[in-house]
Amino acid sequence: MNYIVRRMLQIIPVLLIISFIVFTLVFIAGDPVALMLPDDATLEEIEQLRESIGLNEPFYVQYGSYVFRVVQGDFGESFRYGQDALSVVWERLPATFELAIAAIIIAIMVAIPFGIWSATKQNSSIDLIATGAAVVGKAMPNFWLGIMLILFFSVTLGVLPVSGRGSFAHLILPAITLGTGIAAEMTRLIRSSMLEILNQDYIRTAKSKGIKSVQVIYKHAFRNALIPFVTITALQTSTLIGGALITETVFAWPGIGQLLIQAVNTRDMAIVQACVMIIAAIVILMNLLADIIYRILDPRIKLD
Amino acid sequence: MGESFIQLKNLKTYFHTEEGTVPAVDDVSLSIKKGETLAIVGESGSGKSVTSLSLMRLIEPPGRIESGEILFEGHNLVDYSKKKMRAVRGNKIAMIFQEPLTSLNPVFTVGNQISESIIEHQNKSKKEAKQLVIEMLTKVGIPRPEKVFHSYPHALSGGMRQRVMIAMALSCNPELLIADEPTTALDVTIQAQILTLMKELIREFETSILLITHDLGVVAEMADRVIVMYGGQIVEETDVYTLFKHPKHPYTKGLLASTPKVHELKEELISISGTVPNPLDYPIGCRFADRCESVMETCRTVHPELKEIKPGHTVRCWLHE
Ligand SMILES: Nc1ncnc2c1ncn2[C@@H]1O[C@H](COP(=O)(O)OP(=O)(O)O)[C@@H](O)[C@H]1O
Ligand SMILES: [Mg+2]
Repeated sequence: MNYIVRRMLQIIPVLLIISFIVFTLVFIAGDPVALMLPDDATLEEIEQLRESIGLNEPFYVQYGSYVFRVVQGDFGESFRYGQDALSVVWERLPATFELAIAAIIIAIMVAIPFGIWSATKQNSSIDLIATGAAVVGKAMPNFWLGIMLILFFSVTLGVLPVSGRGSFAHLILPAITLGTGIAAEMTRLIRSSMLEILNQDYIRTAKSKGIKSVQVIYKHAFRNALIPFVTITALQTSTLIGGALITETVFAWPGIGQLLIQAVNTRDMAIVQACVMIIAAIVILMNLLADIIYRILDPRIKLD
Repeated sequence: MGESFIQLKNLKTYFHTEEGTVPAVDDVSLSIKKGETLAIVGESGSGKSVTSLSLMRLIEPPGRIESGEILFEGHNLVDYSKKKMRAVRGNKIAMIFQEPLTSLNPVFTVGNQISESIIEHQNKSKKEAKQLVIEMLTKVGIPRPEKVFHSYPHALSGGMRQRVMIAMALSCNPELLIADEPTTALDVTIQAQILTLMKELIREFETSILLITHDLGVVAEMADRVIVMYGGQIVEETDVYTLFKHPKHPYTKGLLASTPKVHELKEELISISGTVPNPLDYPIGCRFADRCESVMETCRTVHPELKEIKPGHTVRCWLHE
């Protein structure tokens, strides 16, 4: 428990550094005032606004007050939504979670059987197909796959909606799009760790006991393969979010990825900052979670 | 000691690697009698482990049993289906290995791992199995067996782990226990304890043992009969007394000469000059010829056969024709 608390405390400086980077980038990116006022605003009005929102203060004062506000959950107001930025981001999170979880479920359902299969039948045709498919799946860009799926299922066959969120049918194509790359990566990972584990002495011991080969593979080997699998999967949250950014844009999926891309395009800096901080926090929490799960799955390491 | 109940007849196990075919076990015949301890000695790479794994039909590709028979209770195990073979493994023939740490699964408790074969072969519930496991743990001299039942292997010392392996192997009261270098990885004092324990248990369980070792000290302590292997073949076989008093094969003599008087157990003991020949390319004559001090012309050109020079004493050497 101590360990977890210690790790939680380590998150704080990391988030501070990220906030600094984000703030600096926005600071360099330039003056938001022009976007905040109507086109025909006078110079005087611009100057007034700059003064009133503190843009004339030195960098460190601005950063200090920024951190002070962010700690209270105040990322400023979105120009576009006329709303507190954090609450805009917050509203979008469930959609992204829904998509991410669906993609991971699809990936797991594909990767576990195929990864184990190809490891236990190394160099068989199943192995070659699974390995080949994994390479293709990994190499396929999300946007391209998304568009191909839309063309086929929505345009040609007309069985699934093109975009948006709502029914279960809306979820299918984006989840497949996002899940494919993850499935490929997972299959490769399961295959290689299973291959390594199947050569371990304790597998030979298990076989020498006369237990069923299903038990040898799924209990003795797979339980060990779970350790790197779960850990590395949790560590790949950032890749997942990167994929979600593109997938959400392709399918007009109203999640945090789409929000971020739109905010960048419209220079809605409050939203950009809130998105980046939230994404960073999620990634860091998932890394912490990976660490904790690793310690739970591997009895050789103690949670102390 | 009565009938031999397990017999290998002209067993050949080859590995078909990319570099070529490795005749790891090349025409090996042996038999073990009830209650007997048969030791196989020889340098690393001579085919001891592959012989024992073949006996369990645990050879994995690229390895394969090419020919020969494994006769057990009147049946040829080579012809057994996977399912029938499973009923033999861990039940009638059990095995313990050299590295007690890597041979136990790190993510399951000791109790879980010992229970498995009991549940598999004796049709017992988890609860009944647990009782039996605790009993076995007590028998192999593990203090606080209840606690060890719920421990993971890494929490135990090397000696304790090997005791766990022994408990696991004996849990279904097998007819034959194969012990592949059971003490090699252990400290000297622990080795002695484990050997003593094994001797006690053999007597109690009336188990026959195939003991694989490169340590002649262990052979002297445990074995009734000894097989010396070299290059995948048996080069000498005799009772333990004769082996130490009247060894015939130059290789056996070399082994005995290089055995340190006080066991320095961790080391590979062999110091016969020269190296083991490349198994991909064995010479046409005697496989030991290049290292043999008494080598003759014939040795290099004709492969010697295994000959019985006295009842119960066989040698593969041109000196003993
Ligand atoms: N999986 C394998 N693939 C290829 N060759 C192997 C394999 N296992 C064992 N061998 C070869 O078989 C021979 C005998 O090995 P082994 O029985 O392990 O010797 P040891 O007497 O030390 O137990 C060695 O030459 C080894 O290289
Ligand atoms: Mg060996």
